[in-house]
Amino acid sequence: MAVDDTAIGPAVTIAAPEHVRPKKAWYHGVLKFIRQKPLGAVGFAMVGILFFMTLGTPTGISQPSLPDAPFGIVMDSPWMARYEAEDTFYDESGRLRIFEEPSGDHWLGTDKNGRDVYARIVEGARRSLWVGIWALIIATAIGTTIGVVSGYFGGMADTTSQRFMDALQAFPPLIALILIVTIQPFTNGPSLTLAAFALGIVGISSVQRIVRGVVLSTKEQQYVEASRVIGATNARTMRYYILPNIMASIIVVFSTGLGVVILAEAALSFIVPDKMPQGASWGQMLADTYPVIAVEPWPGVSAAGAIAIAVLAFNLAGDALRDVLDPRLRS
Amino acid sequence: MQQYIIRRLILNVFVLFLVATLVFLALRIDPSNVVAQRAAGCTEAETYDECYAVAEAELGLDAPLHEQYVDYMTGLLQGDLGTSWREKTPVLDELKKRIIPSVQLGLMTIIVAIIVAIPVGVMSAIRQDSWIDYGLRTFSIALLGIPVFVLAIFTIMLSTKYGFAQDWLGSHVTYYDFWDPFGWTPAETNPVENMKIMLAPAILAGLGTGAVIMRFLRSQMLEVLRQDYVRTAWSKGLKERVVIVRHTLKNAMIPVLTVIGILLATIVSGNVILENLYGIPGIGFYVTSAIAQAPDFPVVQGTVIVVAVALVFVNIMVDVAYGWLDPRIRYS
Repeated sequence: MAVDDTAIGPAVTIAAPEHVRPKKAWYHGVLKFIRQKPLGAVGFAMVGILFFMTLGTPTGISQPSLPDAPFGIVMDSPWMARYEAEDTFYDESGRLRIFEEPSGDHWLGTDKNGRDVYARIVEGARRSLWVGIWALIIATAIGTTIGVVSGYFGGMADTTSQRFMDALQAFPPLIALILIVTIQPFTNGPSLTLAAFALGIVGISSVQRIVRGVVLSTKEQQYVEASRVIGATNARTMRYYILPNIMASIIVVFSTGLGVVILAEAALSFIVPDKMPQGASWGQMLADTYPVIAVEPWPGVSAAGAIAIAVLAFNLAGDALRDVLDPRLRS
Repeated sequence: MQQYIIRRLILNVFVLFLVATLVFLALRIDPSNVVAQRAAGCTEAETYDECYAVAEAELGLDAPLHEQYVDYMTGLLQGDLGTSWREKTPVLDELKKRIIPSVQLGLMTIIVAIIVAIPVGVMSAIRQDSWIDYGLRTFSIALLGIPVFVLAIFTIMLSTKYGFAQDWLGSHVTYYDFWDPFGWTPAETNPVENMKIMLAPAILAGLGTGAVIMRFLRSQMLEVLRQDYVRTAWSKGLKERVVIVRHTLKNAMIPVLTVIGILLATIVSGNVILENLYGIPGIGFYVTSAIAQAPDFPVVQGTVIVVAVALVFVNIMVDVAYGWLDPRIRYS
């Protein structure tokens, strides 16, 4: 008796399914994100504007404007600034235009040296972002390495490295920052590189704590066991099986950390302005005008507003990113 | 339990030893700028190199590193934190004085935070997704985003500009005595004068801290409100107040207490920026003024160690209290 074909289903011809879900355009994902996380979308928009503000001039003719480019990377002056940060302005009778109210020429007025406040805010945005990003690259790179190794091996290595991290965390962060930029080890004079290093080192312990927690749960997964079964070395398991799977968490740590680091940099520049490189920096602008802020509020209020908006933007964006990418980290 | 505490204590003694060593090494990794700064003002020697050597000897940085370290550790074990380079006073005595304003500010901050956070968090949770919830959450996000020193500067600015409650909201520090304020009154001498200085920073810092606690409490409340025993309480016909306060809030507060504990641990180090802005002579103020002009190594070492000791012991106490509040927690 012939085998009944219908018993094992239709023959091999596979017809195209009738109800194919139409492929959605890329912006549907964006729209969904905006619908679900309106505040996060606002945060991302603000972060986008912040980055846009700091872009270099398209023609590339301005001179380098960061007083001390961190790690030697120098960009041209931001074209959104309209003026150079250090340009001074005079009126018709040749007097310095100090502490002017906002006008069409100077959107946020001028400061005590007759410089354009808006140009300095834009320049300061670049400085905050550069220092913040470099600091986080340092903190995330070292913190992730320590966290992965410590969480993966466990045991004695874990206990020892965690005690070191406890000790690092017992340092009051702002005091440690002030100390490093004041002693200025291995450098002569203030430098942004040093500030970025200081912020990065202070950030290591909290980054590694989060990463270690994620690794502890990841290493119990079956695919990690499988990698051991097929004979992968520890280094290979960490690099190819664990690291890619904690990448979302690392991205979240990075993005939520940016707000914290930018705030810390501003606080540091505010409290020891003369120990940081001179130039357009939000914290230094605030420190400069703080004594006269009740009389001449524009420069100080602009700088304070810039700090608050940047920190708020990164917090909102980071929180939304965390909810989408890695809800485990929520607590 | 006892075993757990003992183990924690031993581990933490090790941590404190590491802290002491790390701060020692961090200061001595390259002190050349500090020595050079001191050498710049010397008159008794001829050449700069001699000046440098004199300054190094004065600061005690000329001895080999291990000798310095042994000296330093011996001092620490005997409870001697050294003598300040600038003021020539024992660091420990100074810290004992300075810790009072810092702890007062910290406690006031936490009290304000709790007073603000609990009603707001509860309200926001039991009226979830209503306009009141959105309003309170927006408020808390704004508070989280705006750095406390920016808030403080705005308050000082507005009260100075419009002459509004300047005694209470303004800062008593002028630009000229930014690093060396005077006029701080202890609470036992004159409570009203003391409050005039401390209340504004405490409320400002408390609002920021309260925003953190409020968000955490809200999510905890929402979780507890979905529990079976809360539904049972409702179906028993209990009043809303009883269900919320006795059944929900009590359970939702347990994890919140750890957050408060962590905050409690950080208050010992003082609020560096607020202490400077408002001229409160606390630990944060002491250490920043000791660093700002020329780093004063004994002061820095002493402060870091005292803060670390406080941090570590508050952490242990919080952990123990946590288990006592919630017997489901097991120590391991």
